[in-house]
Amino acid sequence: MTANSKNSNLVEMKGIVKTFPGVLALDHVDFSLHAGELHGLVGKNGAGKTTLMNVLTGIYQPDQGEIWVDGEHIHPMTAQRARQAGITCVHQRSNLTPPLSVAENIFIGGWPTSRSGFVDWRGLYEEAEKKLQRLGLEIDVRRRVEGLSVAEKQVIEIAAALFANARIIILDEATAPLPKDEVNMLFGFVRRQRDEGVTFIYISHYIEEVFQLCGVVSVLRDGEVVTTRPVASLDQAELIHLITGVTVERFKRERGRQGARPVLEIRGLTRPGKFDNINLAVKEGEIVGLTGLEGCGKGELLKGLFGLEPLGEGTVLVEGKPYWPSNPAEALRRRVGYLPRDRLLLGIIGMRPTAENISLPILRRLVNRFGLLRLGEERRVVTRFIELLGIVTPSMWQPVEFLSGGNQQKVVFAKLAGTEPKVLLLDEPTQGVDVAAKIEIMRIVDQMSHQGVGVLFVSEEIQELLDVCDRIVVMFAGKLDGEFVPGDPTVNAERILLAVEGSLAHNESEKIHTGIAQ
Amino acid sequence: MNPRRFIPGLLNNLIWILLLGMVILFEALTPRFLSVRNITDIFVHGAVLGILVIGQTFTLITGNFDLSMESTLAICALAGAWVILPAGPPTWGGNLMLNPLIGIVVALALGLAIGWLNGTLITRLKMNNFIVTLAMLIILRGIVLGISEGNTMVRLPPQFTALGGASIGPIPICVIVMVIAFLIAYVVLQHRPFGRKLFAVGGNKDAALAAGLNPEQRIRDVYMISGVLAALAGWMFAGRQGVITEGMGQNMILEVFAAAIIGGVSIFGGRGSVIGAFGGVLLLSALDSGLSLTRVNTFWIDAARGMVILLAMLIDAQKVRYAEVSPAKKPAPSGSAAVPTED
Repeated sequence: MTANSKNSNLVEMKGIVKTFPGVLALDHVDFSLHAGELHGLVGKNGAGKTTLMNVLTGIYQPDQGEIWVDGEHIHPMTAQRARQAGITCVHQRSNLTPPLSVAENIFIGGWPTSRSGFVDWRGLYEEAEKKLQRLGLEIDVRRRVEGLSVAEKQVIEIAAALFANARIIILDEATAPLPKDEVNMLFGFVRRQRDEGVTFIYISHYIEEVFQLCGVVSVLRDGEVVTTRPVASLDQAELIHLITGVTVERFKRERGRQGARPVLEIRGLTRPGKFDNINLAVKEGEIVGLTGLEGCGKGELLKGLFGLEPLGEGTVLVEGKPYWPSNPAEALRRRVGYLPRDRLLLGIIGMRPTAENISLPILRRLVNRFGLLRLGEERRVVTRFIELLGIVTPSMWQPVEFLSGGNQQKVVFAKLAGTEPKVLLLDEPTQGVDVAAKIEIMRIVDQMSHQGVGVLFVSEEIQELLDVCDRIVVMFAGKLDGEFVPGDPTVNAERILLAVEGSLAHNESEKIHTGIAQ
Repeated sequence: MNPRRFIPGLLNNLIWILLLGMVILFEALTPRFLSVRNITDIFVHGAVLGILVIGQTFTLITGNFDLSMESTLAICALAGAWVILPAGPPTWGGNLMLNPLIGIVVALALGLAIGWLNGTLITRLKMNNFIVTLAMLIILRGIVLGISEGNTMVRLPPQFTALGGASIGPIPICVIVMVIAFLIAYVVLQHRPFGRKLFAVGGNKDAALAAGLNPEQRIRDVYMISGVLAALAGWMFAGRQGVITEGMGQNMILEVFAAAIIGGVSIFGGRGSVIGAFGGVLLLSALDSGLSLTRVNTFWIDAARGMVILLAMLIDAQKVRYAEVSPAKKPAPSGSAAVPTED
């Protein structure tokens, strides 16, 4: 099963050096790829993964070093030569044209025409269908790409690349994980193509995905390849150590410190089609995990509680008083904070400075009696948060878009912390950040809970919830379906996963209620 | 000097460098260019434009724009004059014969109302800002034509024309008003929470909402600001010309955009400063003055203007390139484990 069994070196990158003004992005990197392997490429944000791949695909010219493909020295490697050599990159941000159908996208630029010169639609669909079937894909080729899931889009992109004679496909997964139910579909497809002889490079922040999919993994750190090893010879802790260069201890929350007073109570909350009869209470200082499949309604529940979407019907109390926000401003007034799943979309204003992002929700507190901003006070407040949360930025005036994913996320936390929330709604707070930052974020959440904040922590990563939560509730098809207390001997990730997939409730129809660990 | 800091810094202050270069060039070509009289002329020439540019800068910062400003200018000036002038030739007013001060109030109130309408159509009815303000541009100009029937309104009372025509000592009132307006706009944008909110809305409307802002209300606000300032510009314009014509302000909107954008205001929202926009106004105004002083054939002035705008944009594009290449590529100091590059 290991990809090392085949010995031909398909790609050899030797001594690649790439500098950007003032920055050594790649420092004598050697990277080789065997035909038919699934090669993981991991590293922190900015470690050089993307730069290396851009060199391989001819987007950047290296300052030094050689690239060999099939034993042939290609110099210079240009985008066109890379394409001729069959090297293609499939980005997470799709290159497909959303309003067009699958078939049109597959043949983009070269649609079959009839004798009269018009597009031969029937031929187009039939041909597309036939080609996809040959790859073992059953997808309605008339469907518009905009209606496809992320994984389906990627599968189509890989297929399109294969039709264009790609042999080496780089999957750049740098920013976000796929929903769990889609991973299997994509991975199954990738494995089948690997068996057909296609070679993949898989870039990911998600260590688990690398372990699931890849045979070999290369670790990049600060522009150097630290190691290339068969995945089977590594465990997760070792890999994390290689990626960060420091020993990162898994974060474990010390439990049982929450107070008795509920800060958030949800009673009989129902929004048809989204969630159904939700009953849930979060006490002060408590971290309650909420997990479930993509589309189970957990995201909508959080958005509803923050006033971004309708809440439906039912009762919600915040600090014992009725709560029904019609917009985020109202939620913030009641000291309910929300960390959005998509930080670029809802969390940060990328082009504006870090300082302005952090102070945005609390501007009212920063004005003097003439209604003018007290800029000195703002600087003090912002500096305090930057230090408190360990945000790494050259200056507080650096636009947030230039910070790494983990630091961007910490900026969102700083923003939230400034509003002094009593209730925190976190939607995938560790998404798209590297391992070290992930641990730090969990520590920040833990600390905020110590100050009496009640946290509702939504995540699809169950291990993370087990580490950081006092309780975990599972949502399935809009209903709360099972509650678990980490530390209880009967509770483990597998069991929670069963509930997530809905099988626990249906097979055993039991709910686990155990006393909270004292 | 670190070129990676120096070059973007230079590009950020591009407008002032361009302006300086142009002043030096014209001063070399014609000694009258830097005379007190000509400098005053440049400012007077830029006053109406400047007021419009302030309004446009506000809308641009929120990621919107207002094409209707030049027609708002005309209809507000017309309405203000119409209520104070007698009917029939040569004044062609509405025979209401109201106090000129009421005429001014009418003009400004109408500007506010037009801005409110633009903003409401865009935010509440979710109409596209380009279409709404383009339609308004055409409709308002059409109404001006309909009411004036092509006549020029004359004999405006001195109270009405003072803003555009009178001076305090050697300094024309319109210049004083423009400079004050720019200062107020600067304070509002840089030192008031309101300004911060406008930048936030323009930078990322959804994130602004999630930060507890009311982006739609802020957008309505900037359209109202834009409307009132267009009315103010109309009142000023009427005073400068001493008459009201059905074509007043026509095609100015292009200059308004050009000045704002040369001054570094982003057409995509979230970026820009009113100080830069002020530089843009002076640049265009000085260019016009210089071209006429150096006796460039008037038929070629538009082409020269267009080229200056293109040149400014060309250099601006380099700024964007620098912004993209520079900080994003650092071996990102990620998390606490900021390991030095050479370990």
